[in-house]
Order: sequence, then C-alpha cells, then structure tokens
Amino acid sequence: MNINILLDGLSLGAIYALIALGYTMVYGIAKMLNFAHGDIIMVGAYAILTTITMYSNPIVALAIAVIVCMLMGILIEKIAYKPLRGASPLAVLITAIGVSYFLQGIAQLIFGAESKPIELPNMGNFKLLGASIRVSSIITLVIGAIIMAALSVFIKTTRTGRAMLAVSEDKAAAQIMGVNVNRIIMITFAIGSALAAFASLFYLMSIPSVTPTLGAMPGIKAFTAAVIGGIGSIPGAMVGGILLGVVENICKSIPFLSNYTTAIEFSLLIIILLVRPIGLLGKKRREKV
Amino acid sequence: MKNTFRIASILLALVMMLTCFAGCGEDEKSENVYFIGATGPLTGDTAVYGIAVKNGAELAIDEINKAGGLNGVKFKFEIKDDKATPADAATGYDALYDAGMQISLGSVTSGACESFAAKAAKDNLFFITPSASAANVIEGRSNAFRVCFGDPDQGVLAAEEIAKNFDKIGAIYDTSDTYSSGIYDAFKAEMKKLNKEYIEQSFDNENKKDFAAQVEALKDCDVIFMPIYYTEAGLIAKACVAKECDAILYGCDGFDGIETQLKDGSVKNKIKYITPFDINSTEEKSAAFVKAFKAKYNEDPNQFAADGYDAVYVIYEAMKAAGIDDADIDPSDLCDKVVKAITDKSFSYKGVTGGMTWDASGACTKVPVIVELG
Amino acid sequence: MEKIQKKSHSFRIGNYINYIVITIALISFIILDNAGFLGRSDLNLLSRIGYSIVLAVSLNLVVGFLGELSLGHAGFMCVGAYIGCYFANSFHEIIGNQIITFVISLILGGLVSAVFGFIIGLPALRLKGDYLAIVTLAFGEIVRNLFKNLPYFGKAMGMQTDAIALERDTMYISSFIIILVVLFLIQNLIKSKHGRAITAIRDNEIAAKAMGINITYYKLFVFTFAAFFAGVAGVMYGHQISPITQETFSYNYSIEILVMVVLGGMGSITGSIVAATVITYINFVLQNELSGELAALKLLIYAIILIIVVIFNNAPKLKPIKEKCNIKYLFARIFNHHKKPEKINDDAAEWNRIESKINMDAILSMEIDVKSNTAFTPDKSEKGDK
Repeated sequence: MNINILLDGLSLGAIYALIALGYTMVYGIAKMLNFAHGDIIMVGAYAILTTITMYSNPIVALAIAVIVCMLMGILIEKIAYKPLRGASPLAVLITAIGVSYFLQGIAQLIFGAESKPIELPNMGNFKLLGASIRVSSIITLVIGAIIMAALSVFIKTTRTGRAMLAVSEDKAAAQIMGVNVNRIIMITFAIGSALAAFASLFYLMSIPSVTPTLGAMPGIKAFTAAVIGGIGSIPGAMVGGILLGVVENICKSIPFLSNYTTAIEFSLLIIILLVRPIGLLGKKRREKV
Repeated sequence: MKNTFRIASILLALVMMLTCFAGCGEDEKSENVYFIGATGPLTGDTAVYGIAVKNGAELAIDEINKAGGLNGVKFKFEIKDDKATPADAATGYDALYDAGMQISLGSVTSGACESFAAKAAKDNLFFITPSASAANVIEGRSNAFRVCFGDPDQGVLAAEEIAKNFDKIGAIYDTSDTYSSGIYDAFKAEMKKLNKEYIEQSFDNENKKDFAAQVEALKDCDVIFMPIYYTEAGLIAKACVAKECDAILYGCDGFDGIETQLKDGSVKNKIKYITPFDINSTEEKSAAFVKAFKAKYNEDPNQFAADGYDAVYVIYEAMKAAGIDDADIDPSDLCDKVVKAITDKSFSYKGVTGGMTWDASGACTKVPVIVELG
Repeated sequence: MEKIQKKSHSFRIGNYINYIVITIALISFIILDNAGFLGRSDLNLLSRIGYSIVLAVSLNLVVGFLGELSLGHAGFMCVGAYIGCYFANSFHEIIGNQIITFVISLILGGLVSAVFGFIIGLPALRLKGDYLAIVTLAFGEIVRNLFKNLPYFGKAMGMQTDAIALERDTMYISSFIIILVVLFLIQNLIKSKHGRAITAIRDNEIAAKAMGINITYYKLFVFTFAAFFAGVAGVMYGHQISPITQETFSYNYSIEILVMVVLGGMGSITGSIVAATVITYINFVLQNELSGELAALKLLIYAIILIIVVIFNNAPKLKPIKEKCNIKYLFARIFNHHKKPEKINDDAAEWNRIESKINMDAILSMEIDVKSNTAFTPDKSEKGDK
C-alpha cells in the first residue's frame, strides 16, 4: 500500500473530524441533530471566497468566516431552534432541515449555482521517506488536534465549559443550579459554527471550489463520523472522522472497491454500532424507566 | 381529533393560499405564439448545466423574436426545474403539455430526458435535446433528436486519438453519471479492440470532491482520459497539481467551461478536449454568440449554453423549412412536419457548435474540434 | 365511565372518516376526469400524491407509533421499485395482463422490501434514537449504492420502465385503491391489541417489557410491515415514472417523507394523509409556477413554509395563540356563543399544559449506588451502637 493514500486519508479525515466536532458539540449539549451544520460550512466557504478575492490573505479570510459563521449559527439558533425548546426533538430536526434548504436556496440566489474556483496559496509538498506529503494536510491534522485539545480543556476547566457539561447532563437541573441554559446553548452553537468555519477553510485547501450544495455530503459524512466515534464525545469525533477519512481513501484507491465506497463506509458504521451501540468512545447512559 | 383539526386548519389555509397563487400564475397560451417547452436542473447539484441551457435558449428566443419571429409569429420559451430527476421531468412535461407546449428542447440531463422522451414519444411531440447525450434517449423514437454528440461516438474517437499518441494511459469516470459512463463504456470497448492497456479509476456522486486517491493512482500516466464535466475536471486538475502529476488531461465536450475553474493559473497540465464549440473561435457566428451572451448574462457561455442556443435555432430553422404558418398547430402535426423537414437531405444548420445534419435516428452529425489549453 | 363505554359502542364517523373521504375523492376525481376537467398534470399530481400517502402512512407506523426515528424509508422504496419493476419488466409479456402484472409486482416488491425491513429491524433492537436514525440513513445509502452498481438494473442510466408504465387514469385510480387497502391494514393493526402493544413500546419500552410485551417481535414486525408498504410505494413509483434512477431515493427523499409524518402529527394517520397531500401539492405548485429564473426561489419558499409551520405547530410559547386560531374553537364560539369559551375547549386541562408536572422519569431513574461486595446493612442502627 502506498503511504500517500494513507496520508491523504488522514487529511480528509481531519476535515471530517473538524466538522464532526461541531456536530458532536451541538448534539451533546442541545440534544439535536443539526442537519444545517453542513450548510454552515458552505456559508463559511462563501465567506472565505468573498474575502479572499478582496484581501487574498487566508488568515483574514478565516477570521471573517469565523465571525460570519458564528453570527449565522447564533441567528439560526435564535430564529429556528429556540422557539422549539421543549418541543419534540423531531420538530427541531425538521426545522434544521428547513434551515439547510433555506441556506442552500439563499446561496444559489446570491452566488449562482455554478461552482466557483477559489485561489488559496499553495503550500507545496515536502518529501519524507520517498512519499510526497502535502503541507496543507499536515496543517489540517495539527490544527484539528489543537482544536480538539483546546475544546476538551475548555469544557473541563472553564465555568462556561462546566455549565455546558451540566446542560448536556440535565437541562432542568442545570437551570435550577443557576445555569443560564439559553445562553449556554447559544454559546454552543457559536462554537460549533466557528469550528465549521475552520472546517471550511481546510476543506477549501484540498478541494478548491465552492458550490451551494458543498456542505451536504461532508455534513452527512461528518455526522457518520461523529456517530462512529460516539456522538457527544469530543475525542470520539476526532477518531471517527479520521477513521472514516482513511477508510474512504483506501476504498477509493482500489479500483475494484471504489464504486462501493459509500456502501463500505456506511457498512462500517453499522458494524461498529452493532458491536458497540454507543460508538467507539461514547459514554454509556443508564436506561431510564 | 383535536390535533387533526388543528393541522387540518393550518394546512387548509395553506392550500387555499397556494391555490390562489396557482390561479394567479396560470396564463393561457396567448394567441399567435409558438410554445417551446423544456425541463432542466435549475436547482441542486447540477443546476449549473440547466441554467446554462436556459440562458442560451432564452438568448436565441430573444434574437428570433426581435427579428420578427417565424412569419410574424413569435416564440415563447419556458423551462421547468426538474432537479435532474426523472419524476420531476415527467411532472414538468405534463404541466408544459397542459399549458400548450407544441415543440420542445427535451431535458438537459440524460436520466431526466429519458423520462421526458418516454412521455413525448406517446404524444408524438418533437423534441431536440441540447445536451442529453445518452444513446437510449433518441433510440427507437422518431420524434427525438439531439444537438450534442452521442456518448459512444466521443468515447470511440477519444480512444483512437489517445491510443495513437500516448503510451501510459489512465482514465477516470463518474459511475453515477450517464454521460460519463456512456462515454467510458465506449472508450473501454474501443481500447480493448485496439489492445491497449490503461489504468482505470472511478468516482461517484457521493464522492466527487476529493480526488487525491484516484490521482495518486494515475499520477505516472502520460495522459488521463476524463469523460466528465468541467466542475469535477477542474478539481481533478487541481489534485494533479497537488500530486505533482503532469499528465495531459484529455476530456470530452463536458470539459467545455473548464477555463472558468482554472483562472488562478496554478494548473500547468496540458488540457485537450473534444468539443463542438470553442469559445475562442474567431468564426463569425460563434464570436457573435459569445459577445451577445456576455452582454446579456455577464459571464462566458459554455457548451451547454451554446447547445441550448443552437437547439432553439434548429427548431426555428426546421419549422421555417417545413413551412409552418399556423400558430395553433397541434404538437403531433407539427412533429410530423418538422421531422420530415429536419431529416431531409437538403436540411443542414450551421450553428455556433458547427454545421449539423440529422438522419432519422435523431443523432446529429457534426465535426468535432480538439481544443488545447495550456 | 358510562360515557366512554357508550362512545365506543356507537358508530363513530371518526373511525371511518379516512375511507369515506378517500372514496369520495376518488369518485369525484373519476367524474371530473371523465368530464374532461382534469388535465394530465392533475392526474400526474394525483398519482404522486398516491405513493406519497402510502409512504407517509407507513413511515408513521415506525416513527409515530413505534417511536423509532427512521431516515431510510426511501431505501425500502428503492428496493421495491427496482425489484418489483424488474419483475414486471421481465414477465409482463408472459403474463399479458397489465393489471395482473402490476398487482404481482406490487406484492413481490413489497415482500422483498419487507425482507430488508426485517434486516434493518435487527439493529433496531440494539440501537436507540439518533443512533438508529443514522443506521437507517446508512442503510438507505448502501442500498442505493448497491443498486447503482449491479449490472441488472441499468447502472447509471437507471432502469427503464416505459414498457410497463400504466396509463395516467389507471395509475391514479389504482393508487387510490392501494391507499384504501393500506389504510385498512394499518388502521386495523393499530386498533388491535398488537397496535396497543406497539404504542406501549413507544411510550415506555421497559414498562412494556415488564408487562410481558415481546419487544423483539413487535419491533421487527413494525419495521417489516412498514418496509413492505414502502416497497409497494416504490413499485407504484416505478409504474408511472421511467427510468427508475437510484438518485431519487437519496436520504433527502427519506427526510421529505419524515417531514410529511412530523407535520401531519406523529401517530396520526389522518394527519399523515393530509400532510402527504399538502406537501406533494406544494412541491408540485412550486415546481410548476416557479419556472425559469424563479426556480431558485423554490427551495427558499419551501424552507420558509416548513420552518414557519413547524414552529407554529410545535412551539410551546405559541400554544395559546394557536388555540385561539383553532378551527374547532372558532366553530364552537359561533355555535355556542352563549356559553363560556373555556368550557367548550374540552382539553383545557390537558396534561401537558400543567407547567409544574413532576418529571417522573427523572425521579424513577435515580441511580442508587449499591456496591456489590459490601454486605447489606439495615438503616436501623444496631444495638449498642450508641
């Protein structure tokens, strides 16, 4: 097996992992499947596209994208999800889908349906043990790991982080203990969307084109990754994302299997869940009567 | 029961609202217009192709109407969104037929066009599709014609060209796409006949963004045959840059428009493709079309737009040749007359995608150009 | 008590309203059609509504009655469409009669799909909630991927079914008849003791188990049963649209069916029927009215309708406003204007409106830390301990 295939898989996995982190955070705390998360990545990608044509500096573009995505995340939460707090989770799922359609529709109206190429500075390759490695893959992996570590520290040590844990455990009890649940959920969405902005930059580094439907498939794949790793678990999202990325790339590189890539990825998910119904690193919850 | 009532009340209100909406929007076919209908993906993943056809066709309609139409009768063009699905194409067809469609451009994508064609064949309604190139869309249907090349022809042509000039050959195609797998199947058969080895790679609709794995396998080739659309081709070209692969990228007519994806100049690979339409052509008609298109839509036309433009003109010319002068003509009568006119040996049309003639099979004979970039 | 008994013995139109309305609708459509009032796009719409209703009602069985979230309903439909129509394509010439072929392929497509339903029911025994949702979604995508790559089903081009396509009028009439049959089967199931067992599992699985309900059996049964009807809907789809392409059955379509179920109200068959009709109609109108340039607005309008309707229907804060707009309330006010409105609103004391409801789940599930090795010590202090 070619080492490059593994490395490419790792960098694809790192992107999935970043998206999955956002998914998992929102799920863990708000207990909702945010189907619009993939489309936040699309929003971030368009934000990067627009800024980079003006300033051509990826750091500025990333900063703008983070701000745009955060605002978008908060806005969506306020308009579409907050009124449904306390309603059936399925109702929230449906509004999430509505939001997803809405964002895609708006993007097509503003930017058109065609895929827009984006120019990001090419960081080149370096050779290691005969394999050529993309610098951007390494950066994606490193930043992904840093973000994961930072999130874990944030949640374990800060006041807000612990409040998040409390909300994820029991909303009502957290409220009684003086946690402002609405604020915490808002912060969760803001962080999740900021992560999506990071994900969109790394996504664009390896796949340099923007379309209104850009977020749909990575969104689903990341969701799968989050579930493989154990939804709600931050290291789990990372592990699941990378596993999925590597498996996907290996499948794609074998001509005999490449047609069945999607089937293999999803079968992997089903098998893992059958063996470990809570995902690889998920936390077991006691059944309530 | 309460719940039901509540939902019923809301939904009833909605339905009433929408019925009003539907009622207002409905306009009867006004007198003295020829109604050309079509369906195409205007939203979703493949929207870019549908919108290109729409723009090209609308430009042609505007020009024809400005010039006074056919014997003073103007044309009306309507394209319904089908999201490239057969179900929506069928719905679109029925709605257009009800609204008085007399002649049609079919659908933009092959799967949807197959559904459209099945219905059109039953009504004997003439259609000439700008871009649905799959063989079975026109097969066995006397009312079905196309402007673009057929898939198999391009595959055979490409295989001959590539086998003649190159040694280390690779190919990548989209297994979910009829256009791509249609060309590829013909290419594969021809390569087998020519006894040439090559490396095969594929991708599908769910995995058409990241091509690192495939390019990794193909990076030592001299040439990569890519019977795919330009959006994915642009991504593969960029993946080639990342992988330091300098193979020649060899495409078919779907490649047209790839320049828009490679503006930043990072891609140094040589790109070749078979196309009927060359945007940089100095030929008078093409140049005029490109200019008019840019003026109207502020973007470069691609081959889909050119095909849409030509398809409308072919209908116009064929109707002119058939001597149609009745704006209320029945679709079936119109079809018989137009088919007779278009398959006549003396009929040919020189459009922006080259000179074309048709035979009874519905396939179009035209000369491909091989365009080279970079 | 007396009142309740009386109610259950007497003929309640509510139990039959679905059959009556659908039969009346069918008859009036046939009359309208023969009188030439219905265009072909209306008939097309009716057929689309037909399979949408079958899909929504059968998914409601899983989501609304069993309480398991399934995002793979389109996958079952895909199996039914491909298998049923493959059969019909191969045998329609031998059988000769179009309707008989159709009926056999309906049953065959349904049965094969039911087998898949059984298979996907197995993980449902072990998984819950969102985990199950992603597994069903994965299943749908796997099925789609397999059918795309199998050589028998036309690969990317899809499977052509013009040879077996039914005429427009035959199609909508048979769609309505199928709906009646499906309704008969599902409504009777729900009203039977099995139906009560299924809803008991939804309300509290552990309690249901404790009551002696065979959870394994019922879960598998519901998944199989619902998959059967999804397969039937797939065959209906295949008989009116050619070619059958796998892209149609993506998870987006499963979600659209789920939207019908949720908007119609979980566990409400009538609701599912109404919502399936309305959503199919909205999509139809949006597609037909917004042609050309306006098509991009389609997604936006649909999204806005979806968000507004869901929020209006479900937001806890909007409940008082909603009750004021309620048709039943309005009627009551018109017909009983001399009475006080609060008294008419018969569910004023509905359980979920009591804000201070004690969360029994939370209390019952308190974890008592019993260490297995330590010996049992009674609470009472022993003698001499003082």
